[in-house]
This record gives sequence, C-alpha cells and structure tokens, in this order.
Amino acid sequence: MDPALRAAATGMMAQQVRTEVIANNLANVSTTGFKRSRAHFEDLLYQTVQGTATVATQDAVTTPAIQVGRGVRLSAVQRLHAQGPIEVTNRGLDVAIEGEGFFQVQLPNGQTAYTRDGSFGISDTGTLVTQGGYTVAPGIKVPDQAADLQISRSGIVTVKQPGRAEPVEIGRLELARFTNPSGLESVGENLYLATPASGEPAAGFPQDDGLGRLVQGALESSNVEIVQEMVDMITAMRAYEINSKAIKNSEQMAEIANSMVR
Amino acid sequence: MINGMNRVASALRYWERRQEVLTNNLANVNTTGFKGERVFGRLVGDALTVVDTRTDFSAGTLRPTQQPLDLALGGEGFFVVQTPNGERLSRGGSFQLDAEGRLTDAGGNPLLAEGGPVVVPPGAKLEIDAGGAIKLGGQPAGQLRLETVPPGTRLQHDAGTHFLPDLARQPLPAEQRQVKQGFLEESNVGTVDSLVDMISVQRAYASVQKAVTTLDGVRSTIVNDLARQS
Repeated sequence: MDPALRAAATGMMAQQVRTEVIANNLANVSTTGFKRSRAHFEDLLYQTVQGTATVATQDAVTTPAIQVGRGVRLSAVQRLHAQGPIEVTNRGLDVAIEGEGFFQVQLPNGQTAYTRDGSFGISDTGTLVTQGGYTVAPGIKVPDQAADLQISRSGIVTVKQPGRAEPVEIGRLELARFTNPSGLESVGENLYLATPASGEPAAGFPQDDGLGRLVQGALESSNVEIVQEMVDMITAMRAYEINSKAIKNSEQMAEIANSMVR
Repeated sequence: MINGMNRVASALRYWERRQEVLTNNLANVNTTGFKGERVFGRLVGDALTVVDTRTDFSAGTLRPTQQPLDLALGGEGFFVVQTPNGERLSRGGSFQLDAEGRLTDAGGNPLLAEGGPVVVPPGAKLEIDAGGAIKLGGQPAGQLRLETVPPGTRLQHDAGTHFLPDLARQPLPAEQRQVKQGFLEESNVGTVDSLVDMISVQRAYASVQKAVTTLDGVRSTIVNDLARQS
C-alpha cells in the first residue's frame, strides 16, 4: 500500500505547485509587462513490479511484464511570452513594445537586465530610467529646458528645445531579443536576466529585422487572463482533493490488511 | 487449507496493485499527454489471480491554448523525440525553444522532423499544418516525423510521458495525420471512473480480507475445538 500512498502524495504536491503558480499569475494581473507562467508535469519512472513470467500449470500461460507508475513530478514552469494587451495611458514616458523584444536596462553592478515594462521616468541627472531607477540602455540624456519628448515607432527619441522649431534627436532606444525568451531568469521588479537557456541577446532597433515597434503613451498590461486562471485553479483544487481521497482510500486498505491478524 | 490461503493472498496482492495503478492515474490527472493504465485480473490455473496492465490509448480532451509551440495529435499516432536514451514516442505537449533554437519538450528533448531536430531561427514564425508539414516564416521547412504502431501493440511507458518505441513502429499514413498547433491534449484519466473504481477496490479488498478471517476461523475450529473433543 505504501507505493500507492506515495504516488497520491506526489499528485497532491504537484497540484500545490500548480496552485502557487496560478496564485502568482493572479497576483500580477495588473503588473505592467508581466508574463504568465504555466506549470508542466510528467509521470515518474515506471517500476517493473513483475517481470515476464510463465505460470506453470497444465496450460502454461505467459504473462507480460507489469509496470506500475509511481506518480507525477513537476517538469517545468514555463513563462508564456505572449503579447499582452496594449493599454493607452497618454503619458509621454510610457512606451509599450508591440511585438518581440525587450528594453535593455543597466543594473548598478554592470549587468544588463531586460524588461517589457516601459513606464519610464527621468532621473535627477536627466537620464531616461525605469521605475526602479535603472538607466535604460543605451543611456539617453534629456537636455535642460527640453519639452515635448517624442519616441517614434522605431525608437528615435526627439525633443523640442527653446528657440528651435525643429525637434532635435537625442538618442535611439534599442531592443534585444532572445531565441528562447522562456529561458530568461526572472529577478523581480519586472526584470529578466539572460541565461544559457535563453541564448545570447541580439540587439537591434525597433521595427528592424522582426523586432517589435514602440508605442508611446501606452503600456503593455499583464497577459494573465483571469477566467483562464480561475478555471485552472478549480481543476487544480479538485485534483488535489481527488488525490487526498486516494490517500485516504489506500490508508483504509492498509487498515483492513492490519485487521486480518486478530 | 494452506493452498486456500495462497489463493486469497494472491487476490489481495491483485487488489493492492490495482489501487497502486489507480493512484498513479489520479496523480497524473492534470499531466498533459498522459495515458492512463488499466488493470486486468487473470485467473491462471484454477485460482491464482495475476495482474495484467494495459495502457489506455483513448484520446484526451484537446484544450486550445493559442500558444504556437503547443502541439497535440487529434487522432492516432505519436511524435518522435530524441532523448539521451534513444528515440521515444510522445503524444505531444508543450514544446519550447532551447538556446540553439531547437524545438524541445519540457524535459529538453528535441522534437524530431524527417532530417533531425526542428530548428526555429530567431523571429521566424513557426507554423505546422495538420499533416505535420513545417513552415518557418512562410517558407516550407521539412516535415515532422509522425509514427504509429499497429492496434493492440503493447507500448511500454517511460517517464516523462514518453513511450518506448516498439519494433512494429511505422510512419503514420498521411490521411490519418491530425497535428493540432496551439492545442494541448489533456490527461485521459477520468476522475469519476477512477473514484468509483477506487471504492470498489476498497470493498473488494475488504471482502477478500473477510475470506482470510473465515479461513482462519475454520482452521482455528479444527485445531482448537476438534482437538479438544477427542
């Protein structure tokens, strides 16, 4: 009976992890640029409990090998980089990416992080920064007394300066993309780091070579769909319940076995 | 008398196995592409019950996910993946790209097309039609390997929702191919069936246990009561 108990326990643990993933998705339903995750499971190794055997009686019968599975395990938690809805905010420093690509962000330790969250600000030194205060690569300085900052679809940043009718280009935003964005490492604050699984970043200008275009005055909202998560949560809960029933049942069978000896 | 006890013990073992298989099925009630196992009892000779398991290859529900890397098969057949231990058959599932752009399953095993793994260059849109023909950015880029085994073939389970390929494997005929991109095949374990089955297993186990008690009671009468009278 012990293997049955353990298999059911792995089932309960799997559903618990699934619920944790769903809970995190739901918690981030309004997080700008958030990408939902999905838990994946696979069955555990199968144990050959009885090899191929010939049961010898008058009519010899050969019984095939019998394999019994030993439960389930978490195989991956996959982040789904589907496009989130573009939400118009009309704030000049909000930039959404429509299509592939990530903004590059300079971390204080010299590393480059990547984000889809384009709610930028301007620091005390006039640099374009993220909400967390990190410089947006390649580092765009907004001159004093500049007004009417415009970011074009292809990333060109222009401002108007007093005394000049023509807008002046002060820099160009770059995007980076990955062969396997699901392999990026989440480090919180809407930031991701490159890993061997994600591949090397390939930087380029927006709208070039299949990279997405920029939309000023808009933000990409979370790609979590509440209804989908709710349905998933219900199935996870029921599956958890069923596995607990299996534990109870197996336990009762063990009790019956124990009651054989009086 | 001893023989009777052996028969009962084999029946108890049978019901225990059955419970183990049921719990494994229930643990995998949300595992994509999982195929449940059925247990059969067989009488060998006149009374010894032995267990026989078969994989239930009935189709699971196809769930739309809109993810281009989720693949399922509408009808019969299997995808082929390359694992470190050799080729394995798989009913599909959620694939992803690795750092080299190869299409791999959740365990990192590449999905095989006719000429090797499917490689998706950065930015190229992957399209797979019902017949398994691959298009990358609108350009034809090969054909997925789809295989099948004759009905009734015993396929052995391997971990990771894979099956060990049988010698009888053959390419899936073109008219039976139903590759569904953007779909996942859910586990084919029926929760209600399994729960009902579990109750009957428990009851049957209890009855067999009563048989043990009764046999033991008879033996007790013989040994203690009959012996006292003589």
